Amino acid sequence: MSSLLDPAFIRRLARLRLLARRRFAGAAGGARRSTRKGQSVEFADFREYVPGDDVRRIDWSAYARLEELVLRLYVAEEDLSVYLLLDTSASLGVGDPPKLETAARLAAALAYIGLSGSERVGVVPFADGMGTPMAPTRGKARIGRVLRFLDELEPSGETNLARAVETFLARRPRPGLVILLSDLLDPGGYERPLDRLVGQRHEPVVFHVLDREEVDPTPGGDFTFVDAERGGTVDVSLDARAIAAYRRRVAAFVEGIQAYCRRRGLSYVPAHGAIDLEEALLAYLRAA
Amino acid sequence: MTFLAPMQLLWLGLLVPLIALYILKRRRQRRVIGSTLLWEQAVRDMRAERPWKRLLPQVALLLQILAIVAGSVALARPAGAGSVPGGAWIAVVIDASASMAAKHGEGTRFEVAKDAALDLARSLPPGGRMMLVEAGSEGEVLAPLTGDRATLEEAIGRLRVRGGSANLEGAVAVAAERLRESPDGSHVLLFTDASEDGEFALDRDQAPVEVRLTRAEGELDNDAIVDADVRHKAGEGPDRCDVFVRLRRWGRGPRDVFVSASIDGREGVVASRRVTLEPGATQSVVMTADLPPNPDGQAAVVRVAIAGEDGRQDDDLALDDVAVVPSPGARRLPVFLVGTPPRSVQRVFRADRDVELFATSLDALAERDDDEPPLDGLFVYTGDTPVVPPPGDSVVLAPVDDRAFELEVGAETELPRVVTWDEADPRLRFVALGDVTIGRLRPLRGGAGRVLVDTDGGPAMVAVARPDGETTFLGFDPDRSDWPTTSSFVVFFRNLLERARTRRAAGGIPVGALGEPLRVPAPDGEAVEVTTPGGRTLSALSRGGVAIVDVGAEPGVYAVQTEQRTLHALRSLLDASESDLSARATFTRGGEGTEAALSAPREHRESWPYVAGALLLLMLGEAWWATRRRRALEARS
Repeated sequence: MSSLLDPAFIRRLARLRLLARRRFAGAAGGARRSTRKGQSVEFADFREYVPGDDVRRIDWSAYARLEELVLRLYVAEEDLSVYLLLDTSASLGVGDPPKLETAARLAAALAYIGLSGSERVGVVPFADGMGTPMAPTRGKARIGRVLRFLDELEPSGETNLARAVETFLARRPRPGLVILLSDLLDPGGYERPLDRLVGQRHEPVVFHVLDREEVDPTPGGDFTFVDAERGGTVDVSLDARAIAAYRRRVAAFVEGIQAYCRRRGLSYVPAHGAIDLEEALLAYLRAA
Repeated sequence: MTFLAPMQLLWLGLLVPLIALYILKRRRQRRVIGSTLLWEQAVRDMRAERPWKRLLPQVALLLQILAIVAGSVALARPAGAGSVPGGAWIAVVIDASASMAAKHGEGTRFEVAKDAALDLARSLPPGGRMMLVEAGSEGEVLAPLTGDRATLEEAIGRLRVRGGSANLEGAVAVAAERLRESPDGSHVLLFTDASEDGEFALDRDQAPVEVRLTRAEGELDNDAIVDADVRHKAGEGPDRCDVFVRLRRWGRGPRDVFVSASIDGREGVVASRRVTLEPGATQSVVMTADLPPNPDGQAAVVRVAIAGEDGRQDDDLALDDVAVVPSPGARRLPVFLVGTPPRSVQRVFRADRDVELFATSLDALAERDDDEPPLDGLFVYTGDTPVVPPPGDSVVLAPVDDRAFELEVGAETELPRVVTWDEADPRLRFVALGDVTIGRLRPLRGGAGRVLVDTDGGPAMVAVARPDGETTFLGFDPDRSDWPTTSSFVVFFRNLLERARTRRAAGGIPVGALGEPLRVPAPDGEAVEVTTPGGRTLSALSRGGVAIVDVGAEPGVYAVQTEQRTLHALRSLLDASESDLSARATFTRGGEGTEAALSAPREHRESWPYVAGALLLLMLGEAWWATRRRRALEARS
């Protein structure tokens, strides 16, 4: 078992299930209601029989009363496509613990929940473009493969969410839940890529991963801050005035993302600093 | 420009670490963070909140600041040309002795000192005050302590070279007294050529004294008339005279000069002699000449001069190249006897061969026309006196009325006993009156009179001085006393005659040193006009019976014209110590006996404020041009 998930946490995860605010058409029968009518125990509607229909679904009681062949329709239960868009840019390698580790643990937990719920779970790493993805898979037994994939990810490169999303969408993935795990510190912004996902009938969920020092820097000292991705520098003396100005900027940044998600009806899950994974997941599930 | 405390300039070394603090970068710790995106925005926010932008250490900016600071400080004239500390008071004492008229460069020593005083006045620092004292025979304050430049410049313009020696100690004492309780840095500044014999103690508790010496430039070269006299040559006619001249030379090597004698106001030379003067030696010259009086009967005044072979005298001091001396004819004193004087008095007058006796009366004097020249001599009134005293000197003997001129004449007393007499008065010099018996006395009283002889019956002899002369009153008839039987009687009247003769020979103006103002007796409010030997005309109004005319140092005869009469004054240097132009004086500080600081006079030139002003304008222009160019580039971009 990977270090990303410990056994006790896995047992608690087993009781959870990923929730989507919309229903999606699945690729195979699953535990999730599909947009299509299908074979299940839950009655959905009637319709007239047409040649070729499965005669086993004819409602003979209705034929006796109405003398018309009527086919009983049931709710189709299909699987949900879950895409874990994981930011692996160099900025995710910073932090204590590194933000990539936090993001990977979240991704592992979400993958486990998904696989436990018979969803199709795929992992799509990205930095300045989309990395080599792990193909969507089903079944709880595949969790080991997902964990190994996540373990092998290394932070590098600049962040270019827009290019990554465009590459992702170019593969015409089945619409589903797109869980974005990133610090969103992308000079190109996050609104347009997320709008693109929504436009392609995906449901993005934003897990915003930030280090504690990025949210609340420790006062004192004169520093030359070096950008992990672009190499640029900023000279800052961490006095009260500078920290206050920075906190205002961080607050505005986070509030901007939250406001955007509210406008789009998306879920926003803050994962700032050393978080409790279970709490973060429950927060998401409650919001969903 | 000089600095009073040049060691303090070492503080400028602080500029090095100061500039280094601006240039050196702060040592910062490098830290890799996820993204500088938010920090860049935060830093921009902080900069936007400040009303000013960050000061960047630019060399141009530093130079401009320094230039503006230096220029402003220069224009503020902080050190007052480097010699007067801010807020200090200085008393400038200038030696006005005759030797200061010696040549010095293009001008004279005195002009150098005046220029130095002028520079000081023009470079007074804020809060600074200055006073000016002229050191002639006495110290005279020409300008009190003031910071007003115009007042000081006007006072400096009134500085004159005076004849004779300068009373340096007295002048410094006057100046130091005025600086009592003055701020720190205040001092007395004495400009002198030290051409005086002796030691001058300049120790003053009130203010330190700094001596600035105007040293002679090059070799000293001066030929001088150090004494002159004219005597009648016995047995060779009434106008035949010997002219005695003593000459002295200061310089290197012998020199031939021509000594000439002439009668002032007349053309031609009456005697001349070529003399070879040896350095350091005194040469006597005797010349014989006829010196007749002028058509008005006035005695001749002899003008003695020395000149080189080319007829010009170009030594270092011109004041001692000319001297004027009265001829023996000037000693003849007319004595006008008004009334019949006592026989004893007549005998004394007749015994003096330089006395010319004229018998007259009050009526005869009253009948004289106004356009007739006034009688110039000694008037002797016996019994009756006129209402107004005559100009010049007079004697009143045994007045008969109750009033004689301004004095009250008391009731007659018999056999008064002489109680006391004024031995210090020049008239009573060598006169003893202790055993004199006076028969009858009418005592003399009055506020204006000074008692010369007092008796138990009242004042017996009183003197009244006026600007244009004096009157001596005797309240008794000498013939009715035993005084004429004593030698002191003759001495007294000879003293009277000599006193009147001296005043008359001097032209009716008190004798004074060369360069001292003429004190001309004249009624209040009357204008007096003086023509100097060089032909300049000066005028002054009489106040308190005297018109004071500041004539400066010019040897010769000064013609003085009042509304009533014509007077003249003779002025010559005739002072060997002033003709010796070498610096001989030593200056000591009281009991310490150390020589005071001597320094050559510093000539201040205030051209640096204009240079600093130009520098300031240049730098402002440079700053304007630099910003204009940048704005143009920004507009283009």
